[in-house]
Amino acid sequence: MIRRWLGLLIAQVVFRVIVGAIAALIATAVAIAAAPVTLVAIGAFTVAWSRGWPPRRLLLAAAWCAPMVIAWLASRAAGGTGPSGVATLPYHAWITSWQLVRAGSVLHAAAVIAPAAIPLGLLAGALAWTYRIRSLRAGAGGLSPGSAVAFDQRQWRHQVRSARARIAVPGSVPIITPKGAVAVGAVIRSVSHRTGPVAAIGYDRMRSHQVIVGTTGTGKTTLLLRLWAGFMAGGLQRHAAGRSGPPLLVVLDCKGGSDARRIADRVRRVLRDAGARSTAIWPDEASLSLWTLPPRQLTTTLVDLVEHGTGAAAYYTDVMEALIGLAVEAPGGPPLSSQDLLSRLEPGWLGAAYASTGTPADHQLIRSAGKHLADVALRFRTLFRRLGSGFDGQAGFGDADAWYCILEGTDQISVAEGQARALVDLLASFAARSEAGAARREILLAVDEFSAVSRRLPIWQLYERARSLGLAVQVSAQSWQGLGTEPDERNRIASTAEGGVWLLRTPQPEPVTALAGNRTEVSTTRRLRRFPFWAHQGSSGLREVPVVDPSLIRSLDVGQVAYLYRGGVSYIQVKRLVATPAPLSKHSVAEHPATEHAQHSGAQNPASDRQGARAKASQPASDGRRLAPTDLPDVSELLDAAFGPEPSR
Amino acid sequence: MIRAGDASGLAAHGSGSKDRAGLDAAGLVFTGEMYGVQLDQLAQVLGVSQRSAIATVSRWVADGLAESARLGPGPRWIWLTKAGLTRCGLPYTAAVPALSRLAHLRAVTATRIALAATPHFTDGQAYWRSERRLRSKFGRRMGLREHLPDAEVHWPDGTPLAWAGECWAIEAELTPKTISRTAEIMREALARTGDYGCSPADVIQPGQPARHARVIYLCSPAARLVVGRSRDTLGALAGRVELRLLPADAQWQQE
Repeated sequence: MIRRWLGLLIAQVVFRVIVGAIAALIATAVAIAAAPVTLVAIGAFTVAWSRGWPPRRLLLAAAWCAPMVIAWLASRAAGGTGPSGVATLPYHAWITSWQLVRAGSVLHAAAVIAPAAIPLGLLAGALAWTYRIRSLRAGAGGLSPGSAVAFDQRQWRHQVRSARARIAVPGSVPIITPKGAVAVGAVIRSVSHRTGPVAAIGYDRMRSHQVIVGTTGTGKTTLLLRLWAGFMAGGLQRHAAGRSGPPLLVVLDCKGGSDARRIADRVRRVLRDAGARSTAIWPDEASLSLWTLPPRQLTTTLVDLVEHGTGAAAYYTDVMEALIGLAVEAPGGPPLSSQDLLSRLEPGWLGAAYASTGTPADHQLIRSAGKHLADVALRFRTLFRRLGSGFDGQAGFGDADAWYCILEGTDQISVAEGQARALVDLLASFAARSEAGAARREILLAVDEFSAVSRRLPIWQLYERARSLGLAVQVSAQSWQGLGTEPDERNRIASTAEGGVWLLRTPQPEPVTALAGNRTEVSTTRRLRRFPFWAHQGSSGLREVPVVDPSLIRSLDVGQVAYLYRGGVSYIQVKRLVATPAPLSKHSVAEHPATEHAQHSGAQNPASDRQGARAKASQPASDGRRLAPTDLPDVSELLDAAFGPEPSR
Repeated sequence: MIRAGDASGLAAHGSGSKDRAGLDAAGLVFTGEMYGVQLDQLAQVLGVSQRSAIATVSRWVADGLAESARLGPGPRWIWLTKAGLTRCGLPYTAAVPALSRLAHLRAVTATRIALAATPHFTDGQAYWRSERRLRSKFGRRMGLREHLPDAEVHWPDGTPLAWAGECWAIEAELTPKTISRTAEIMREALARTGDYGCSPADVIQPGQPARHARVIYLCSPAARLVVGRSRDTLGALAGRVELRLLPADAQWQQE
């Protein structure tokens, strides 16, 4: 009995070996018989493996061979071969190629069989590569269950190497693609995204909210520059085509310091290459006018700029708001500068201003709140001293293509908070005004480390305001926690980022990676025979795995970013933008005015005739590079001789 | 570029000299630069009577260098053919002056003639860079964002004039635009640093001097008010905008 059982066991083994050997022999014979196809398939498989290509790329390459095959068949058909001959042409080519090989004409043989062998080889290579990837991803391939992990890591390295080589080619990643999408770099790998070799996002996503998270030194600035340049170039292109208003980029750099100045210079040069005419750097080189805000908005902004308490202190806030309201909305128009406002808070000014035109309620208010006037003036004098001259200029956001606003959020937090609040109010006012106008500008507000100054203006509030005004907001932070103080706030920001989330290397990526959700994957268990040998038998099932692997995010290199969008992710090697060097200025820094760049495209925003006339009346004495009227020689003599004297109104 | 002498010197040619070839050349170039010229203005440019101007034009037409037709009110219009433009070395496309632009072309020509008639223009060796020349710098790249002035007047350095070295933008305004649009055009002209046809990034280049020291607005009585108000909105830049009325003959009036 035992002998019979042992005999059966041996017979089974021998049968399996014989069947396996026969199968191997048949496969080898087929491979040798179809040697040209086999060679191409091996080559395709090797290239795909070494470059980390997805199988789709080999299939595409096979598809691109179709014109060659059609031309080959057509030439043969035209040469006298009938339709039946065309059908058997690959077979005849195969026979001919072997005959040529036997005759020693290997190259000739290759040329004869190439039209059939190349597409078939690519197809076979793609199938083999797909099988390899899927078997390993399912955990069924490889010698051990760990093979899948090693394979994935090796493929990541290959894909990174391939992406780096791609972006190293000059001109391979333009700022915008011919279809108007914003190109960022080369795709390393994508999950649930349809991507090509170049990573590009549609311009419409730049018009939606975006979130960028990445620690210092991971290439965040490089990525931001790319996105800003793409927004500018794409916006200008659309504007030139008459499809939208001109773009406006406003960057709030809430860290400040010398780094901010260096980045601002780089931004200016990069944007200039992207087609931006003027980039104003606030407050170093350009000043905005807070006083162009509508009077009611100006009152609210001014009161909000001053820190005030709650409880009993709220009474003084009300008094302050009432007095500021009176000063701003006084007959004769709102103040033109901080000095003008302070002069209105002098004792007696309000009384005189409202003496003839004020209502009884105004007079009553002036009488009752007048005793606090000196305190209010003191608070605003202190505020204006701390804010500096950045809001007493003549320019508006509409005067430049881009504004880079530097807020000293690290050094002087309370000042930066006030500045941020005022800048956002100014931009909101500008957006609301331009909304009614013909050429509505497409605005992107990019805020870097806004949490540093968001105590008085939470980011989510900024988001909500921006949404209602049609602004796109791009928030960047060094970590998930940097997006907001409360988890709810952070989730609110991230969940409204319709333009996608950019995730660079960060130590705690889980909250962000969770936003991409999960995907279903086949998981296989394998039986351990005896270490280190695993059997290929086991059971498979479906399991949920995260779309974005947090450990991969932690190991991202400099310049690598994961772009999360609609439940998919693309890992991208960002192409650095090299800006042309800045032209040497003919003037010294001292000669440059505070509003130089704003003046390049017009000195101020002419909200109305009245404002313009008032601005003219309050023009500062020195306006730098611009030729002041007094600097110009008088040409009246010539013009009078040619055209007569200047007409009077 | 047409130098001041080309226009003012023409009169001298016509008055005494029998240098018909020189007269023809300068007249042809002038006509080519201005898209087209009306006969009475051509006579002024050549410094001859209208009858003589007709003879000159007839000769140009016979030679295939120009064409002449009555396109609108007033005298006949003369414009250069392709052969005429080639003869002058002007790289423009030959075309009949557009009917919608006739009044504007006449106004710009009148402005040029009036300016060239002043002694300062000759003394300053100024030259007139016409809109057609400016436009030709763009080729087909003319963007929506670019506004072209009707001409530039360049005042070379080294002349006794106080404004030597300046470049002026000339705008002839017949019909009033909106104040905001007019002010926008003024700002654009005053803020520009690059030449026309340069890359968009060079149009306004930080640190570079402004291209136009001033903008000269020549207005019809109808447009005067709007241009004046637009200038008022410019603040200190208003000092760089000069405003005058167009010469009396800039608009053709039926007698």
